[in-house]
Amino acid sequence: MGAYLLRRLPSALVVLAIASFGIFALVRMVPGDPVSTLAGPDASPEARAAIRADLGLDQPLVTQYVAWLGQLARGDFGTSYRIGGSVKDLVADGAVNTIVLTVTALLLAMAVALVCSVLAVVLDNRWVNATLSFGNTLAIALPTFVTGLVLILLFAVVFPVLPAGGTPPDGFLARPDLSVQYLLLPAVCLALGAGAALTRFLTESLRTELRQPYVTTARALGISRRRIVLTQALRNALPSAVTVLGIQFGTLLGGAVLVEAIFTWPGLGGLIEEAISGRDYPLVQVLLLLSVMVFVVIQLFTDVIHAWLDPRIRIGGAA
Amino acid sequence: MLVGLLVVSVLSACSSAVDEANGSSGSDSGPSDGGTLRIGSTSDIVPATIFTNSSDATNTLIGAVYDSLIDYPLDSLEPQPRLAKSWQVADDGLSITLQLRDDVKFHTGREFTSKDVEFSVKTWADPTWTVQLQRTAAAITGFDTTDPHAITLKFDHKLSNIFDLLDMLPIIDSETFDQLKTGKAYVGTGPFKFESWTPSSKVVFSKNDDYWGEEPHLDGIEVNIVSDPQAQVSQLRSGQLDLVTGASNRDLETLGKDSKFAVTGFDGAVQQIYVGADLANPDLQDVKLRQAIAFAIDRERIVDEVFRGKGTPINLPWPDYSPAYDAKANETYTYDPAKAKELVSQLGSSPTIPLAYPAGNANYEAVAQIVQANLEAVGIKTELQPAEYSQFIKQLIGGTFGGLWILQHGYAHYTPSTLAVSAYPFNADKNASHFVSKAYKEHADSAWNQVSGTSPEAVEQYKNLNKDLLDNLFLIEMALLHFQTAETKGVQDLNMSKRGELDLRSTYLSD
Amino acid sequence: MSESLIDIAAPEAGSPGSPDDQFDHRRRPGIWTALRRGKGLAGLILIGVVVALGLLAPVLAPHSATEQIPGANLVGPSGAHWFGTDEVNRDIFSRTLYGIRTDLIVVFLAVPIGAAIGILVGLISSWWTFTDVVAQRLFDLVLAFPTLILAIALTAFVGPGLRTVFFVIVAVELPVFGRLTRTSVRTVREMPYVEAAHVVGAGSLWQLRRHVLPNSMEPLLVQLAVSMSVAVFVEGAMSFLGLGVRPPQPSLGSLIRDGVRNMYDAPFFAVGPLALVVALVLGLLLVSQALAEARRA
Repeated sequence: MGAYLLRRLPSALVVLAIASFGIFALVRMVPGDPVSTLAGPDASPEARAAIRADLGLDQPLVTQYVAWLGQLARGDFGTSYRIGGSVKDLVADGAVNTIVLTVTALLLAMAVALVCSVLAVVLDNRWVNATLSFGNTLAIALPTFVTGLVLILLFAVVFPVLPAGGTPPDGFLARPDLSVQYLLLPAVCLALGAGAALTRFLTESLRTELRQPYVTTARALGISRRRIVLTQALRNALPSAVTVLGIQFGTLLGGAVLVEAIFTWPGLGGLIEEAISGRDYPLVQVLLLLSVMVFVVIQLFTDVIHAWLDPRIRIGGAA
Repeated sequence: MLVGLLVVSVLSACSSAVDEANGSSGSDSGPSDGGTLRIGSTSDIVPATIFTNSSDATNTLIGAVYDSLIDYPLDSLEPQPRLAKSWQVADDGLSITLQLRDDVKFHTGREFTSKDVEFSVKTWADPTWTVQLQRTAAAITGFDTTDPHAITLKFDHKLSNIFDLLDMLPIIDSETFDQLKTGKAYVGTGPFKFESWTPSSKVVFSKNDDYWGEEPHLDGIEVNIVSDPQAQVSQLRSGQLDLVTGASNRDLETLGKDSKFAVTGFDGAVQQIYVGADLANPDLQDVKLRQAIAFAIDRERIVDEVFRGKGTPINLPWPDYSPAYDAKANETYTYDPAKAKELVSQLGSSPTIPLAYPAGNANYEAVAQIVQANLEAVGIKTELQPAEYSQFIKQLIGGTFGGLWILQHGYAHYTPSTLAVSAYPFNADKNASHFVSKAYKEHADSAWNQVSGTSPEAVEQYKNLNKDLLDNLFLIEMALLHFQTAETKGVQDLNMSKRGELDLRSTYLSD
Repeated sequence: MSESLIDIAAPEAGSPGSPDDQFDHRRRPGIWTALRRGKGLAGLILIGVVVALGLLAPVLAPHSATEQIPGANLVGPSGAHWFGTDEVNRDIFSRTLYGIRTDLIVVFLAVPIGAAIGILVGLISSWWTFTDVVAQRLFDLVLAFPTLILAIALTAFVGPGLRTVFFVIVAVELPVFGRLTRTSVRTVREMPYVEAAHVVGAGSLWQLRRHVLPNSMEPLLVQLAVSMSVAVFVEGAMSFLGLGVRPPQPSLGSLIRDGVRNMYDAPFFAVGPLALVVALVLGLLLVSQALAEARRA
């Protein structure tokens, strides 16, 4: 196992290296440049030249690239042009906010999925099923930007019970009761789509489980449907649901871009949008590199798991 | 949804975030001390461009933390004392001597002297800071700081706009300058002290107890970065913010009608919205076409519908108190579609001209579509090209629009000569319109090279400038726009400097 | 969004059930029956209504999409203007009808093109191992990026506009269909009847055409419906973020955005376009669910 991992590592590093160069070049190919954006329209040519030199953008590309790599090796992720402040701090703060939001949404989605699917399967009522199914499809069909704005309108403006956006003033841990209130609307908005998908999947899985022979036996023995579902079926259906959960997490991260915009939640979604539109090279590069790294790590992880499960791959046969 | 409602009802038992955000109610009428003013701003501060007038949060910071030597009132160009008590301009116009206050301290406790003025001017003269008045600052080449409470500035050539510079220039502390570059510390002599900056989140200030002037009523200021105009309004309504600077005109109109809020207009920091023409495009080279465009635009409609009446249609950028203001000349191009059609028919071809504007801004989008419809009605076809802001700026600086564009500019409410030497679209040497004219350059230079910006000689030069602008129409002015803020009724005595910085020295919170 | 919809529409869409060894005519009617009852019918009706409204726009709309009516600034719904007017004095009802057409282009042109290219790439690349590995990695790379981030990045290059929306949709659908086709190809390829065909001397192309493609038809159809609903959503989200069609051209997404911008002053604005977007997405989803269920039946 360890040997397999070591064999896969070099190719992963190569991918990262190629990706870093690709990102570096790509980012500079985009029309528009940070100097003009920083300098503003009224700056003189000397001002712009001075800024260009200050940012190191007058150096040849290769020099810039090597310098950037050197910085990364030292753990220095650079300073943002536009927003100011170290890229490391900005990304860390943004990541914390996005992860808090996404995890909360995931938990909400899981809770909703569990409750709804169990209800559907236990009650096994035609009307309940139809309603849940319709609500399910509707939850997916409604665009995020609509649900978000409707939520704000309802709960922050018409009935001002919840904040209209932003994060708790002193951080998440200082006042947990306040944090929940700030988190609630954006998390609900984000969780709708994933919750619907999970509900559907879990309901299907539970239904399939209930068709298994052991369930028939249990029913024949007189055990109630409810007990079977809650004790046996659920436990058997959950593992495959976990894989779906993984996919949903990725989708949630993507949906966070819109939700962060609507609720002015200072996370990575808003950060990358601001960085790209401000042509903030250091920030964009690090964020893109981060995504590639996450992707590569996940790939590595899944490959290792597969290898662990299937000795043929480890030894070197065809997948 | 069920879960949500459950949680909400449970939470209403615990303390409410909304109530906490609303803050406690203060005392009743009359200036009361205390409280933190929470402001919503659309753009964050950018340390690299802290002296460029480009972000509302930056403007609030400069206004709160720094003092300038003189202050212009909002509606005139008569300098009033601030850090300078009195001044004399030399008869030959090549120097100015100012007597400075002797009771001023920086926030670090250090005494303010004439050397600090020299440092500030030199900083502004450094091109790296992209200050709009950099050329003016760079023209100050001699400093006499023998007297710590007086300074003589010697110029390279006569500067008609020297007081513009002195109104805008913040007096900076040289000792903490390195921290200024990284956004760690902003030390000035102003009514508030800079406490902290959390990028993309907020900037916090506290009262300066040792302020040389009247002590501010507010305990502190918190500038929250809320980039979406609608989110600002939502947070104002839900009590999370006390004042917002970025609300849309329509929202301001609605808020003005609501008894819980007040909308304050400031005549000081006016901006002008215009249509620029790139003369490198052969279709735009015939002045008749540009005149047709000037006659075709329905300025009244744009002011009424897009800016909700908070503007004035113009042909020349000057507000009515400016020495260059010319009421008659301002009506050279009125809304006259018939005349525009006639001019268009005199031209040969009718090509399609690109019309660029910064994307993502509701006002520009609406104005661009109205202009498009106006031009189409007289036979000029245009194609809208929204561009991302950074690309738009690049095109502006590089002069690569290849057609028409819509943008705003400022600086016309100061000494008129400042406009031609500081605002890029008007720059006689190089501008995005590729407009080159010896006469224009001469007039711009001689307007600058005057002893005083309001003397009869200067006014003569302004007349020449006006004629150049109106005859050549490389920029077609549409309207003068006023700046407005929306705040809760409790925010009292709000002011603004001519430069567009909130003046919170006498502001207080009541309830 | 694309992944989640694959899962809700058809949890087993990734693995084509049990392909027969012959192109089974008896199974084909399943699809058509599914579309004539229950969910499928409801979905088709919804789609049909929206499409009809869009196609009949020139007949139904009282004004053109860009006509600015003097004085009618953000007027509420009235006899003259059923949906009211917008902030540049245009009739919202007319703009909504014409806006449907933009979405129809995105849904019925961009998605099939992306699907076709994706299927082609998937078919060809998966036949040989080397191309398969490369293609799969590329697909995964594109799919790893949330669609909106991809959209933002692409817009930075090409500028906002309908063309960009088109590119984004094609770019996102390509790997989805490529991956789906590839799974089908690989599974079918392992089948004994394909091995038999190969032994008998049939060329690769013939095998692809005769065996692989027909057996992958149904999951692909399901995915097509799902992708179309996603495309509507993507267009809406991109226009909402300001990256979509250029003014003055209307699209349902940009109309929703304009409506949301005027939410406090004109709450009625976005209702019409919103209802149509929901109808279209719902219709496509229902159709995809009906198709998926027919397969499993």
